[in-house]
Amino acid sequence: MIGHDVFLPAPLLAVPSGIMVMLAATVWRRSAGRSLACAMVTLLLALAVVGRHTGGRPDNGDSLFIQDRWTSYTAALIIFSTLCILLMSWRDRGHDGTTRVDEYSLLFMLGTLGALAMVFSANYMPFFLGLEILGVSITGLATFRYRPVMAGCEAAMKYLILSGVSSAIFLFGTGLAYGVTGSLRFTPPVAAGGMPAALPVAATVMVLAGMFFKLSAAPFHMWLPDVMEGAPVPVAAFVAVVSKIAIFSALVRYFGTGAQPPFLNDIVSVVIILTIMAGNLLALRQTSLTRLMACSSIAHVGYLLIAFLCPGHVQSGAITVYLAAYAASTLGVFATMTAFASPDGPDGTRIAQWRGLFFSRPFLASAMALMLFSLAGIPPGIGFLAKFEVAATGVEHQRDVLLCTLIIGSIIGLYYYLNIIRIMMTAPLLPAHPLKRHARPELAALVIVLTIIVVIGGLFPARAIHPLLPAPPAPPGLPDGMTH
Amino acid sequence: MTPLPALVLLPIVGGGLAWLAERIQPHTASPARDASWWVALGILIVETLLLVLVTVRHPDHAGPWLGHFSTPWIPAMGIAVRLDMDGLSLSLIWLSLILCFLCLFLATRQVTVNAGAFHFLFLATLTGIIGTFLATDLFLFFFFWELMLVPMFVLIAAWGHEDRQRAAMKFFMFTQGSGLLMLLSILGLVIAHYRESGVLTFDYFTLARTPLSPALSMLLMLGFFTAFAVKLPVVPVHVWLPDAHTQAPTAASVLLAGILLKTGGYGMIRFNVMLFPDAASRFAPIAMGLGVAGILYGAWLSCAQDDVKRLIAYSSISHMGFVLLGIFTGSRIGMQGAIIQMLAHGLGTAALFLVAGAIQERLHTRDMHRIGGLWAAMPRLSSTGLFFAVAALGMPGLGNFTGEFLVLLATWHVSPTIATLTTAGLVLSAIYALRMVNRIFLAAARADLRPVRDIPARQMAVFACVMAFLVVLGLYPQPFMTFSTPSPLPVTDVTGQTAATP
Repeated sequence: MIGHDVFLPAPLLAVPSGIMVMLAATVWRRSAGRSLACAMVTLLLALAVVGRHTGGRPDNGDSLFIQDRWTSYTAALIIFSTLCILLMSWRDRGHDGTTRVDEYSLLFMLGTLGALAMVFSANYMPFFLGLEILGVSITGLATFRYRPVMAGCEAAMKYLILSGVSSAIFLFGTGLAYGVTGSLRFTPPVAAGGMPAALPVAATVMVLAGMFFKLSAAPFHMWLPDVMEGAPVPVAAFVAVVSKIAIFSALVRYFGTGAQPPFLNDIVSVVIILTIMAGNLLALRQTSLTRLMACSSIAHVGYLLIAFLCPGHVQSGAITVYLAAYAASTLGVFATMTAFASPDGPDGTRIAQWRGLFFSRPFLASAMALMLFSLAGIPPGIGFLAKFEVAATGVEHQRDVLLCTLIIGSIIGLYYYLNIIRIMMTAPLLPAHPLKRHARPELAALVIVLTIIVVIGGLFPARAIHPLLPAPPAPPGLPDGMTH
Repeated sequence: MTPLPALVLLPIVGGGLAWLAERIQPHTASPARDASWWVALGILIVETLLLVLVTVRHPDHAGPWLGHFSTPWIPAMGIAVRLDMDGLSLSLIWLSLILCFLCLFLATRQVTVNAGAFHFLFLATLTGIIGTFLATDLFLFFFFWELMLVPMFVLIAAWGHEDRQRAAMKFFMFTQGSGLLMLLSILGLVIAHYRESGVLTFDYFTLARTPLSPALSMLLMLGFFTAFAVKLPVVPVHVWLPDAHTQAPTAASVLLAGILLKTGGYGMIRFNVMLFPDAASRFAPIAMGLGVAGILYGAWLSCAQDDVKRLIAYSSISHMGFVLLGIFTGSRIGMQGAIIQMLAHGLGTAALFLVAGAIQERLHTRDMHRIGGLWAAMPRLSSTGLFFAVAALGMPGLGNFTGEFLVLLATWHVSPTIATLTTAGLVLSAIYALRMVNRIFLAAARADLRPVRDIPARQMAVFACVMAFLVVLGLYPQPFMTFSTPSPLPVTDVTGQTAATP
């Protein structure tokens, strides 16, 4: 049935080829540096060919993969994020020769492959494979934390077990869906004649539960802070950014961008409220910056789901801008954390360590503050526009309860983001902390690039707002919004 | 070629230059040689020249609007960078610039830590404020509205007094949280207009013509009102103000009291009353009630304060109550009174904060129990303080009196009861102002008073300019009243289609 189909998006060809080369190089001689360089080249290559594909697309819609502007956008976002994360990991490479080895970048590449497979999939099979590849790579990556060793192992175990459970639920849903429709196409099952109506609903809910688990939407959010805290900082960034973009992209692909059926509407609305409140309230009492970022990431998933639930004129812009804003700002925070950390000093994961940074390293502190402002939705960062557009989608559909939750969540969020800035502004306990500064030009460049993206994206966002989502069944409203 | 965008962008760009100037030439021992200060001064002078240009040039189009600038920003959302200037925005920008000069001459030189960053943030706040006064695209307005909070937050949190960080957080969260309600209102208005006409736009003049149901317009108006009420502030949501004003460094206090509060009044005139005239008139009784409550409550609490800056802060709440009252009387006189009151309060309270800052700098305390009898030691500062305290209590012949009188006149036509209650506020204001003068300046000199230096004559000259402004506002307010009236364009647009958008 699918044997003759050779339609394959080019990134799915480029990344595995790169992985093969890396594996071959590992067999020949192990070198973390070469592995990392190979990974970067592969990613750049994949970024260059992100919109291309091999073979002709079959017309009957039974292909394994799909390619349109939405896949190109999210795939580019994923590849770019992985590039940033690899740059963050550069520092760790030569630091501890015994534990930092080349499978580190290899696992990142595998995880990226999984994420890309999820983005491009139009069938349950590649999606599930992608999900598992991503999950297993993250499990491996989480253990790379060497100080303390136990934290990494704990994070990996937690992720392994919980991700296994969620995969099982998802697989069950897939099975039910196949039972209903007799097809593995990546769309919500619709009951055929004579089927009980509850069966497709159950299938959809189970698939949704599996996805929410990976997306860390409440009430399936508990694993995220633990895993991110236990993992190394770049891996935490990977969990927070890449895996979430991939799963959200697949979610939009699966359910489409039209109006959702009523039962789904209710479920997702409740999940959104729980997610926003849980994420923000949990973040209030955190003392660890990675945990705080995990909680903020949970809350942002909630905001993003509001845009998912409100189809219409502004939805496409809202989702694309929000994904970009979330990725850039979160990566910015993690990049700043890596730049802040020093091998013999604080590693930047405790909030208290950031005290007085405005005095000792003003530029780093300013970048961090900008990223946090952007996450909180305050100009001039791109997060301001993102939150604005998400609110616009909600207003368009008069989702009053969701909007109230958005506002309450934003105000709570403001508190903990501002709190970090406040701590950075507090005068340091010890004047002139004599820490050896390590020149790390790649991190400085990364922070600068992300800062520029966040600011330029916030000031001149016109180019980012294009209709990128997969075409919904209903016409999306007027194409032009010009008044003059 | 209109200078409006330059007017908005110049301060923040110049602020960046000031910061760079300090980093290139690090702070030397003598504060007078501070590079960033000179750059900031130069920027303000250029800005003033630009503003003079705007004021005197003949507008190149018909209509009451003095300037106009428009360029697309986010076409997909119908968002444009659109700036328009009328007499109201122009007079408030003049007020802002005058106060910035005051700050530069009297307060920012005392900043010794990171002066470059201080001047950058100071000027960035100015950009946000001027942008707020000029923006006529609702998205842009909201952008500037939020943008001005950030530098102000940093100014308070980094350079403020002992409890600065809590005050800064409170300030930010109150204003930002209420701003989100305004965001929802903006979006609601835009979507309502989109449903009506199929055009997605954030343009103020187009949106003013949107037909709205009474319930919806009331809801949207309340969203705007909440945001502006927090900024103004109106009594139940004033909680951030005393802390923020008290803890801020002197220059930031001046900006806060002098201009930031005025953005709330400006927003009420421009957006509440002019976008939703019907809803505003239906809401007027409640708003006027809140205004009277603010006048009495602010004045009452002001009488009970020992901290000088806190006393002035509470008196601001009281004075801003007059602004709220005047705006919602629905009459032209009340509106003019509110505007005159905003200008006069901006000048007078800014000067009072500068006096309080000078006292704190010399005596290292704001507690009136520990200050006393300064007249003998500092005659210049004391007479300045006396003058502005008397202005604050509404002495005839000074600007505040004109504003309060016009507001009272307009209120009397609407509700004599409210006008009577308001007069009680005037009595209270006399109590707190004179009490402050008595305790700080006139009381017997304290035995443990350290020898202090009076303010130099050149600073006295700066204060004298402000006094002259207040006297002119008090004695001959007519030109200001006619000049600073908001252009009535959107209002006529609602009733008839005669007026064209500029």
